[in-house]
Amino acid sequence: MGTRGFSRWVLAIPMALLAVATLYPLLFTLNVSQKTRREYILDRFGLTDTFGVSNFVDAWNTSGLGTYALNSVIVTTGSVILLLLFGSMAGFAFSQLHFHGSKAAFLLILGALLVPFQVVMVPFFRVLGQIGLLDTHAGLILAYTAQFLPFTVFLMTSYYSRIPGEIIGAGRVDGASTFGIYLRLMLPLGRPALLSVGILNALFCWNDVLISLLTMQSADHRTLMVGVTALRGQYSDNIPLFASGVVMAALPVLVVYLFFQKQITDGVTAGSTKG
Amino acid sequence: MTDVNAARLGTRTDAGDPGVGRGPRRVPAAATSAPAPPTGPRAVGSRRRPRWTEQRVAPYLLVLPAILIVVLLRIVPLVMGANYSFTGDGDANGVWVGLDNYRTLYHDEVFQIAIKNVGLLLLALPVAVAIPGLLATFLFLKVPGYRFYRSVYFFPVVLSPVIIGAIFNVVLSFGGPANQLLARLGLEPRDWLGNSSYAMFTVIGVHIWATFGMALVIFMAGFATVDQSLLDAARSDGANLWQTVWHVIIPELSQTIQFVFVTTMIGMLTGMFGLLYIMTGGGPGGATYLPELYIWIQQGQMNRPALASAASMVLFVLMLVVGFAQLRLLKRATKET
Amino acid sequence: MPTALMNGSRSRRTTARLTAVATAPLLVVLAACGAASDANSEGASGKLVIWDWKSGDPAAQAYVDAAKADFAAKHPDVEVEFVAQPFDNYYTLLGTAIESGSGPDVVLFNGGAQLRDRVDALVPLDDYLGDNQERLTGWESFQDEGATYAVPITLQGEPFYYNKAVYEEAGLDPEAPPTTYNELTAVCDAIAETDKDCFSLGNKEGIAMEFHLSTFGPGVFSPEQYDAWLAGDRDWSSREVKQLFDMWVQQNEDGWFNDGVNSTAMFMDEFTMFQGGESGNVVGLISDVAHWKSFDEVLGDDLGVYRGPVVTEQGQSLLPAEGGIGYGVAEWTADPDLAYDLVDSLSSTAALTAFYAEAGAIASDTTIDTSDAGIPAVADITSWLPESKPSLHTALSADTLDLLHRLSQQLIDGKVTVDDALAQLAASDEQ
Repeated sequence: MGTRGFSRWVLAIPMALLAVATLYPLLFTLNVSQKTRREYILDRFGLTDTFGVSNFVDAWNTSGLGTYALNSVIVTTGSVILLLLFGSMAGFAFSQLHFHGSKAAFLLILGALLVPFQVVMVPFFRVLGQIGLLDTHAGLILAYTAQFLPFTVFLMTSYYSRIPGEIIGAGRVDGASTFGIYLRLMLPLGRPALLSVGILNALFCWNDVLISLLTMQSADHRTLMVGVTALRGQYSDNIPLFASGVVMAALPVLVVYLFFQKQITDGVTAGSTKG
Repeated sequence: MTDVNAARLGTRTDAGDPGVGRGPRRVPAAATSAPAPPTGPRAVGSRRRPRWTEQRVAPYLLVLPAILIVVLLRIVPLVMGANYSFTGDGDANGVWVGLDNYRTLYHDEVFQIAIKNVGLLLLALPVAVAIPGLLATFLFLKVPGYRFYRSVYFFPVVLSPVIIGAIFNVVLSFGGPANQLLARLGLEPRDWLGNSSYAMFTVIGVHIWATFGMALVIFMAGFATVDQSLLDAARSDGANLWQTVWHVIIPELSQTIQFVFVTTMIGMLTGMFGLLYIMTGGGPGGATYLPELYIWIQQGQMNRPALASAASMVLFVLMLVVGFAQLRLLKRATKET
Repeated sequence: MPTALMNGSRSRRTTARLTAVATAPLLVVLAACGAASDANSEGASGKLVIWDWKSGDPAAQAYVDAAKADFAAKHPDVEVEFVAQPFDNYYTLLGTAIESGSGPDVVLFNGGAQLRDRVDALVPLDDYLGDNQERLTGWESFQDEGATYAVPITLQGEPFYYNKAVYEEAGLDPEAPPTTYNELTAVCDAIAETDKDCFSLGNKEGIAMEFHLSTFGPGVFSPEQYDAWLAGDRDWSSREVKQLFDMWVQQNEDGWFNDGVNSTAMFMDEFTMFQGGESGNVVGLISDVAHWKSFDEVLGDDLGVYRGPVVTEQGQSLLPAEGGIGYGVAEWTADPDLAYDLVDSLSSTAALTAFYAEAGAIASDTTIDTSDAGIPAVADITSWLPESKPSLHTALSADTLDLLHRLSQQLIDGKVTVDDALAQLAASDEQ
């Protein structure tokens, strides 16, 4: 696109300002995380004088963030595995196989996208309680799977529908069963989408507060983001400690993002563009 | 230029539609192109197929887990919630009260504000779509440093809304950095989250800040598919930047724009709870309530799960109506371009 | 996308990268699985679960340990698990637990509306109390229709704290805090000359208005009117109530508060500002949080305390105080006797002494000696307690309080008039 150099530089100004606006709150948090409680009370917005990791150590020790991080890892891993498995199975069926009620079933799952969690919150926990999964890792994994499955099925269906039908046909010629085709063709072919959708789902699960807070009632089952949120509130006026918790909780996420930037963005786009 | 466009349109409608019905529509081709399987009966005639071949059962088994989960954890609770919404709270727990809860909602000033704010969100929707769209255009034009910006802009998306809310609470506090900046520019400070006239806009602004990276990425993927020859043609016609955007890029991206509209709407109507809860708690004076927050407060603090269920049903119907209306509108708009 | 699909080498490389990142957590998961499932396999009978929002606080550790030790002496075979929930969501979590009919055996409550709204889920404790009824005070906040549902462990009240250094800077006598509303007005006028605020105020949650009612109410109401209000006979159209609301609006207009009242959180921005020396006065608490002990840590000798000023001729100067937080027994617990024994340990003199000394709470136990705290403010507070009366705002229902919160913000915003607000409150209070 042959836009003149000058106008490109003019455009660069708002772009740069926006980049500052994007980064500033994060740097601000980092700054606060370095202060002591006293320093914060006496000067809330100034630059910190102290540097070090003592707040991080405190946040980690006093609030049991170690246990919480472990729970987050367990639940996130479990949810992502289930989501990818069920999502790719359904996506394959919806995009490549012909069966009665396929459209209705697809609409049913997509329709769940329009049901905000709060809408089903009260009865949802009754159901979870009745099947005995309240306050268990399995229960939270199931809750996340239910929450993010519609999105996953949608993206996988969209991705798989770009794969030409001839590939399935070729599989059939070789005498493969439908499950065989799923295992030997669709899973490997879907790898780029599975990778990116998996990373996105991992971010969602890792960042959730609401569902986790309500599902995991006992302290040693709490997830990291809930633990961090609990560092701030009516009974904790140590904002630097909270900021440290925020930095620590966001760190793995940022690392994943920087490493897998390309895959994440591919995942986001899987459903939106023509092939 | 229009000729070229028309030609592209044909291929687009065929390959584009990301959503509903896409898969199934393609299926017949896949099915017919598949040669008859070794099992004899199928070759005899499609009408006398045996009922339970692997090929016929497999699709159902493949979608079964997803359907089970959605039905058990979304549809069943939805029906249960609809049922609760006709029962009472407190002493009337479990007692059928008919439409009482809905009547209460209808007269509740806070719930009215919540619904009104949903309208505000819908009005803000075009802005929430235009900002990332514009930015994606700039990036597409390879503004100096675009690689850096592309990474940075996605940053907020990876943070939890609750954390974003907590950060902006401090940044937007009256003595906070935002107002310090205004003061330096010689402007009056604002009570960003404390003035009921614009607190809702502040929260919407933060929500856009937190999510525009997602839409931006989708737009950029759309740009990757724009036909370079169309852009060259526009340039040789002497079109300026805005004409190019208007006549070439927007029509080319209608599919993407549609997708962004729908996902952004769902994000706004279902994803602002965390921000609201942390940043305003519905205040000041109830000015920033949304139905989700109302449900949460009624069920928790106010200990009225049945009323909360009724509010849930209203929100669900609202989502359905808005969702379908939007799909309709966008479908028509795309056909016209 | 098709390019990504075809480009095998790139996806192999990313897969390798992903494997590396994913394997480490997976190993941890495997190692952790044993521990994670253990917690569920324990029988319900040998274990009691307590919900609170305090036990995670390091300052409350001594209290928790003392209570545990006391209980272990009685029931060595029963395990006790404290679950500290985030306070912001405490009652929502509890609501979910009540909904699903399962949850903690012993529950910490704020006195007043939050408890009264949920008595259906609690065991009446009157038959269990025994000697505790004499030893502890603050019961009224935990009673509903004559039955007692929780045992108080702290008293809560709303005194005025002030910063002596700010008073001095404004040319005021740091040892003579105001006793009348005229004196308070003079204090605020003097402080207005400095760059400080007279009061730090955060009304984001709307709670500041509750405190306004309860701290200025005794100075405005006649004693009879005060008692009638508590007894449920509330005349929202009376001259005194209107005066209280007018004062709220007037104080804001006269610039007594910091800017951005409606966006400042009481917990903890308001108190952070006061402790940071940004204002001369603040209405604080006596237990739990925002109290003499936490202020003392930053302000030290500059911290002073006084009772709400007398406003009208019939008014009085008293510290509004009553039962603060207390433990109840959940209706679904397997063995209420056992659960009450735990409540008994949680309110034992040894435990409450530790709570007072370490966490900075005015305990409900009248036998605790508070003369040796080393913080002058606490001696003042305890000396005022005998004359205390319950706070005006705790007599209101959760619904009316919620409306009060919103109206107080609208009054600051100028979106509603005092008369209109009072009419709405009267209507809500009647239901």
